[in-house]
Amino acid sequence: MKKTVLFLAAILVIFLVSCGGSGSKNIKLGMLYNMTGSQASLDGPSSNGAKLAAKEINAAGGVLGKQLELVSYDGKSDAETIGKAAAQLVEKDKVVAMFGFSDSDMVMAAAPIAAKAKIVFITSGATSPKLPSQVPDYLFLSCFGDNVQAAAAAEYSWNTLNAKSAYLLIDKGMEYTLLLGKYFQERFTELGGSVVLEDTYQTGDKDFSAQITKLKALKPAPDMLFISSGPDDIGTIVKQVRDAGITSPIFGGDGYDTPLLMEIAGKGANNVYYTTHSLMDKNAGSPEVQKFIAAYEAEYNTAPENAFAGLGYDTVYLLADAIKRANSADPKKIREALQTTKDLPGVTGSITFEPGSPIPQKGVAIIEIQDDALKLAAEVVPEKVPAP
Amino acid sequence: MSAGEYISQQIINAISIGSLYALMAIGLSMVFGILRLINFAHGDLIMVGSYTTVLLLSGGIPFVWASLAGIAASTIMGLLMERLAYRPIRGAPDVAMLLTSFAVTIFLENLAIILFKATSRAFPVPPVLNTVVSFGNLQIASLNIISILLTIILLILLTLFVTKTETGISMRAASQDLVAARLMGINVNRVIAAAFAIGSFMAGVVGILWSAKVGKIDPLMGFNPVLKAFVASVIGGLGSIPSAVLGGYVLGALEILLQGLLPANVVPFRDALVFLILILLLLFRPNGILGSTEKEKI
Amino acid sequence: MRRDRSTAIVSLAAIGITFLVLWLLHSFGGYYIERIVIGIGINLILVISLNLANGFTGLFSLGHIGFMAIGAYASAILTLPLSLKSTNLPDLPVFLSKIQMPFLPAVLVGGLIAMVVALLIGLSLMRLTGPYISVATMGFLVIVQVVLTNWDSMTRGARTFAGVPEYTNVWNVWIWAILVLYIVWRIKFSSFGRKMMAARDNEIAARSLGINVMASRLLAFCISAFFTGVAGALWAHFITAFSPKSFYFSQTFSVVTMLVVGGLGSLSGSVVGVMLITILSEILRNAERGFSIGPLVIPEVYGASQVIMAVLFVLFIVFRPRGLFGDAELDVRRFFKKEKEVSG
Repeated sequence: MKKTVLFLAAILVIFLVSCGGSGSKNIKLGMLYNMTGSQASLDGPSSNGAKLAAKEINAAGGVLGKQLELVSYDGKSDAETIGKAAAQLVEKDKVVAMFGFSDSDMVMAAAPIAAKAKIVFITSGATSPKLPSQVPDYLFLSCFGDNVQAAAAAEYSWNTLNAKSAYLLIDKGMEYTLLLGKYFQERFTELGGSVVLEDTYQTGDKDFSAQITKLKALKPAPDMLFISSGPDDIGTIVKQVRDAGITSPIFGGDGYDTPLLMEIAGKGANNVYYTTHSLMDKNAGSPEVQKFIAAYEAEYNTAPENAFAGLGYDTVYLLADAIKRANSADPKKIREALQTTKDLPGVTGSITFEPGSPIPQKGVAIIEIQDDALKLAAEVVPEKVPAP
Repeated sequence: MSAGEYISQQIINAISIGSLYALMAIGLSMVFGILRLINFAHGDLIMVGSYTTVLLLSGGIPFVWASLAGIAASTIMGLLMERLAYRPIRGAPDVAMLLTSFAVTIFLENLAIILFKATSRAFPVPPVLNTVVSFGNLQIASLNIISILLTIILLILLTLFVTKTETGISMRAASQDLVAARLMGINVNRVIAAAFAIGSFMAGVVGILWSAKVGKIDPLMGFNPVLKAFVASVIGGLGSIPSAVLGGYVLGALEILLQGLLPANVVPFRDALVFLILILLLLFRPNGILGSTEKEKI
Repeated sequence: MRRDRSTAIVSLAAIGITFLVLWLLHSFGGYYIERIVIGIGINLILVISLNLANGFTGLFSLGHIGFMAIGAYASAILTLPLSLKSTNLPDLPVFLSKIQMPFLPAVLVGGLIAMVVALLIGLSLMRLTGPYISVATMGFLVIVQVVLTNWDSMTRGARTFAGVPEYTNVWNVWIWAILVLYIVWRIKFSSFGRKMMAARDNEIAARSLGINVMASRLLAFCISAFFTGVAGALWAHFITAFSPKSFYFSQTFSVVTMLVVGGLGSLSGSVVGVMLITILSEILRNAERGFSIGPLVIPEVYGASQVIMAVLFVLFIVFRPRGLFGDAELDVRRFFKKEKEVSG
């Protein structure tokens, strides 16, 4: 027993020693993503994108003559760990701003801690428009809200695809998919369309045969399918829907913005539409996007895995721009400068914050997959956006 | 689609997903029968097999060989698991064994994240597994037909193995009474290793079929299937092969039935109902729907 | 008599030292250390109450995190400010939409609801034995998960439940932790506790001595669920924003690991288990970000901490299948005496 106690004491000493701080002259930004656990497939690419951006900025001379340093911890998809990591960023690493996460639970585990220290937190991937009001003044989105993209999808379906009836399949396991589906339904029925059947599944379900059989039994068949789902599930769903012989247009949100969709569904991905930030295509995208994809491929040996990669990348440029315009790495001045961001070009569209609004004004790109290729079908700003 | 066609289509769905659950449940159930170990890491064997297959496919190896190698990798990993993690703790409390299997899961999943990244990868499926066969208005994916046929073949082989070979008979003896089996001169280590090898082989086969159905793989892909297989083996009555198979098909039917029949606002509670049925079975028929009412049989 | 008095003195001294250490950490440790200390306190309650159900009765529940979830959501709903209630939970039943409880009553109600649920399911589940009870309680965990994810009007479903007031601090958590430790300690060494452990070690013998095994198990299960619910409520007011997936297998696994490492049935084991696992995983979590020892630079490898913990755990079970303490207790007085061979 004595040995046990001494062993425990030794562990404690190692721990206390390892808690020591570190100093450096760089401008430190706190980066929090879940590199392991259930959220890792979304957060990993964001982290890659952010690191790439920091590397480019530093290679071009940094910001205000200093290098950007991304201080990162693994959130492990666990709120308690994230809380501790955020506290470390504030206290030990003394970062001037924080960013990260693609899920509102995770954002809410970190952002209040940043706010307490009067540091901004920018979420690169959590698109819930309700989020910033929970942490007033200090929580910003670098992407559009779900209500905006859902409204754009509904208007495009109604006006351009001439869809009058829709089948709705929603992932009940994620805030993102729930909100997206709800906002779509709200705007689509407001325009006069009808949702003929609403079905659900849970994140991670792999067999959709029962839902699909129900869908096939619908008479008359709906004009379109709106499937609200995340990047890990959508390929599987499209594949199984098409395998069952259903060819109707499938519509969705930026969760579809992943090469996996076409890799998994193959030919089945044709006649799929989705709303996203910009056309992520090596050949057809804008020059910034093409440059980003090339740089990403050179760095990580793979194309950007999903839309979150570009969002992580833009978030670092957004912060760098704010620091530059503030002409200071003071957290308070960074926050003020961030709020006045105007027409900052990025690979996910240009970013403008209206006074008092922590959600950027960004156009919505509507992507269409035809003949095994991505096409930019339209770039729209929805006429009317459902209230958050 | 007429009502008859609708029902036939759902029956086919149930049989094809049930086949996969059955194959998974066999491995869990065999190991539980002998060691009383609920091996949560069984699901990760699916992941190991699928990743091996995908890596070989991207290296240009033809699908048949790559998938055979994947199945072999699952089998080897199952044996390694037994040798390195479970054999040294044999005889530890049930809980410690259960937790060890959790630890093995965490180990394999995080190792996979470190080695292969957390993002999903596509599982390239050859056209033969990817076509739709039409019978009138009924459309059946070729993959489903192949899954069902393969399951039947494997079940026949397994039945022959446990009834005709010495190792197979020893295995059944060990699952009746491990101590007595040892006293009768049965090499317990060999029997347990054989149980792991067979279970892992089945998991490898499921890995290929499952990944082909889903179209993609990721490091955490084993968790949901193992949970389902686990329910299946309890429904059947933990510990025996025929009941694990039955449990797999019953679970498949139950899931499809509930998803297809329940009103839309109740459908999300499907899994809760499945687990409620599981608990009720444990209370009233602890040896499964097939099992005798005799207590603690295994 | 003398032994009783010295036990009391040692206990009081231990409590005094604990609070002194807490005060020092609180005053000089900073916010990061404070969060770790609160986390340890909450985990202590979880592990000790799990020990009451699992270690003393031998019925291994894998569903306790379900009770934690119930306590967390109950207390969160009861304390949510009215202004937030109308926007975040518009479909709440009337009797809930009009009340905003203070911290302590809400925590107690959270615990009580968890206890009532435990009573309802325990009435039937306590008949099961061995792995069957683990399976059934795991089923309960899944059911709680599904219900929370879909009961939109009460829990917001899978969406984040945010805006829970941040009431939890070092002091209230640790007062609860020490209270729970004290109560469970008293139970362990009461005649009730001995009956329970007798039933664990040999059910038939215990029955033949007239012990009502079912009733004692059920009572232990309910008390345990109450404290687990309390811990859930404290956790809710610590983290302040969560969703059902916070209360699932990974949380279950983490708590059960702490329990098994300490030793099933040993309260000192639970305390040491919680601290050891927490501190070790903090060290590894910081180390996996990469570090350098002189010229040797280790790059960041996220996930390495989980891999190493898993290997350590398996090794630990190989060498100490019954945990650090088995079901024995640490006796400080013995530590200062010349050490005799102490088993476990």
